[in-house]
Amino acid sequence: MSLIPSKKWVLWSLVSFSLVTLSLPTIIIIGASFTSGDIIQFPPDGFSLRWYERLWELDDFKDAFLRTFQVSLICTVVAIPVGTLAALATVRYRMRFQQTIQVYLLLPFTIPLVVSGIAMMILFGEIRILGQLWPVGIALCLINLPFMIWSVSSTVNGLDPELENAAHSCGAPPVQTFFAVTLPAVMPGIITGALLMFILAFNEFLVSLFLTDARTVTLPVQIYNSIRSVITPDLAAVSVVYILVALLAVWLLDRLVGLDIFLKSR
Amino acid sequence: MSTAANMVEIRNVSRAFGQSVAVDNANLTLQRGDFLTIVGPSGCGKTTLLRMIAGFDEPSRGEILINGQNVASVPAYQRSIGMVFQKLALFPHMTAFENVAFPLRMRRFNPALIPELVDRYLSLVKLDHLAARRPHQLSGGQQQRVAIARALSFSPDLLLLDEPLSALDKKLREEMQLEFRRIQQELGVTTINVTHDQREALVMSDHMIVMDEGVVQQSNTPREIYNRPGNRFVAGFLGVTSMFKGRVSAIQDGLLSVDMGGVTMTARGNDALFSIGDAIDCAVRAEQITLLEEGAQARENTVTGLVRQRIFEGDRMVYEVRVEDMNDSSLYVFDHNPGKHGEHDVDTTVRLGWNAESFYAFPVVK
Ligand SMILES: Nc1ncnc2c1ncn2[C@@H]1O[C@H](COP(=O)(O)OP(=O)(O)O)[C@@H](O)[C@H]1O
Ligand SMILES: [Mg+2]
Repeated sequence: MSLIPSKKWVLWSLVSFSLVTLSLPTIIIIGASFTSGDIIQFPPDGFSLRWYERLWELDDFKDAFLRTFQVSLICTVVAIPVGTLAALATVRYRMRFQQTIQVYLLLPFTIPLVVSGIAMMILFGEIRILGQLWPVGIALCLINLPFMIWSVSSTVNGLDPELENAAHSCGAPPVQTFFAVTLPAVMPGIITGALLMFILAFNEFLVSLFLTDARTVTLPVQIYNSIRSVITPDLAAVSVVYILVALLAVWLLDRLVGLDIFLKSR
Repeated sequence: MSTAANMVEIRNVSRAFGQSVAVDNANLTLQRGDFLTIVGPSGCGKTTLLRMIAGFDEPSRGEILINGQNVASVPAYQRSIGMVFQKLALFPHMTAFENVAFPLRMRRFNPALIPELVDRYLSLVKLDHLAARRPHQLSGGQQQRVAIARALSFSPDLLLLDEPLSALDKKLREEMQLEFRRIQQELGVTTINVTHDQREALVMSDHMIVMDEGVVQQSNTPREIYNRPGNRFVAGFLGVTSMFKGRVSAIQDGLLSVDMGGVTMTARGNDALFSIGDAIDCAVRAEQITLLEEGAQARENTVTGLVRQRIFEGDRMVYEVRVEDMNDSSLYVFDHNPGKHGEHDVDTTVRLGWNAESFYAFPVVK
């Protein structure tokens, strides 16, 4: 495609500007985390890994990281079957609860997280499961599940509606059809959704704040607690850990599904 | 495997969706090894009929026999039917090879023989060199070929094609039509093809069914249907056909004298359907009309008309001519050798003629 030169120039400036503004905070944080000084600053004051070493020594952060990992894992493991079946049920099999699920899909935009947080805190308190880790995972799954459903539905929508019939005409009974054809065909959506669920849970703060206590505090809440006392460059180091986790997810996505599927409009 | 004479037999099959009837009392029989094409305009019930044969849908009434067996209680996956879908429905996560191997695995072929069979069918559709590609890495025509190989690899009793060529461009489509025909004749597989493309129906099939509004209009060989259209719809659907209104003024031995509103013409029709004074429709195909040069001998039906439009189509010139003596109707006529005959300009007068044999009379449908 050839563009008129001036148009091309405008386009390029816009793209570069967006890229810079989007990546600037990341670059600053990464830079600041390597400072050898005692305060967060950019450009960093010298170069050292001392804040990463310190982070490693802080058991609070390490434990919080592991707990966050567990919570995100629980959230993801629950979301995969529930979200996949819900998505297939709505788009593929035209089930009875279609309307209910459609409304649920809009919830992230309508119910503020504070409300969900408080509601679940009260509920979990009532049934005496507050103070454990797994209910946090379930809670995060509940509030983020629409993203999983969306991800799978968009793949399902792209499939030929006759895919299952094609499998039947190949001699595959319904159960085989589901496992050999339907499920693998929606796998890109499932993987995408699962990684999305993991990252969302890994970052979730507000609801976790309501549902965790000193024994079950997760990383985002731990960060929040520590900035209330004093801000040191180890926070920049934590942020870099976050960036690494996100990069890992994107890398996994590329390996498992292929990023070209997402960058290509099919 | 039984050896019933008829591979497929459809008896009084209807399918209604609520109030609307998609297929209305259809009957057909198809012999082993035959190539049948069902042709009709979009929405006439072709897919519905095919889906019932494949087992994805059930008739509201009537029965379907495959290989002499009533299949009402046989689910799709137990019927020996290969199908090529309108949008192909290839398995996106499988390579071409795996797509073709899938029916063999599902139907429990000896695993040791599967690779050889897959290779054979991929070669048949000339795609053996692309076996490792996924569907999205193949062109439209190549995907088509994978779909054909997948439908054929397990040697089904019956092959169903639901307009699989409609998405291709004209050149590729015509190539694939001949390809289908070649493969079908090579394997001798009984085939039902569905299309809205009359050319495809005429080119490909041994046997042809014309459908409209859920009703089978005519069933015969392509040649017979084209040359002896059974009703007004069939006459108008196939070929470039001009239609006229008229009134019967005399009947004799299958020939009708028809008052066309100025001239009297002779048309061919079934005596039993008409009586004197009836309003009728008459049809003639563009290729049956001759542009009569000056001094040329008149035909059984000869008129003069005014050229309204001249369309150059490369291999022929198409004229639209208005004939005052036929209630001011327009008709289309071809000239396949305009260089030799000279061109007729718009608004000039031309003389046209055609034989009674190719002027079909039909009762007016209410
Ligand atoms: N599942 C369905 N529900 C309601 N109406 C349908 C359904 N399938 C087909 N129809 C109707 O039946 C008629 C025939 O459809 P179809 O068999 O798809 O036509 P064709 O394949 O000849 O284009 C159409 O009027 C269509 O709207
Ligand atoms: Mg159709």
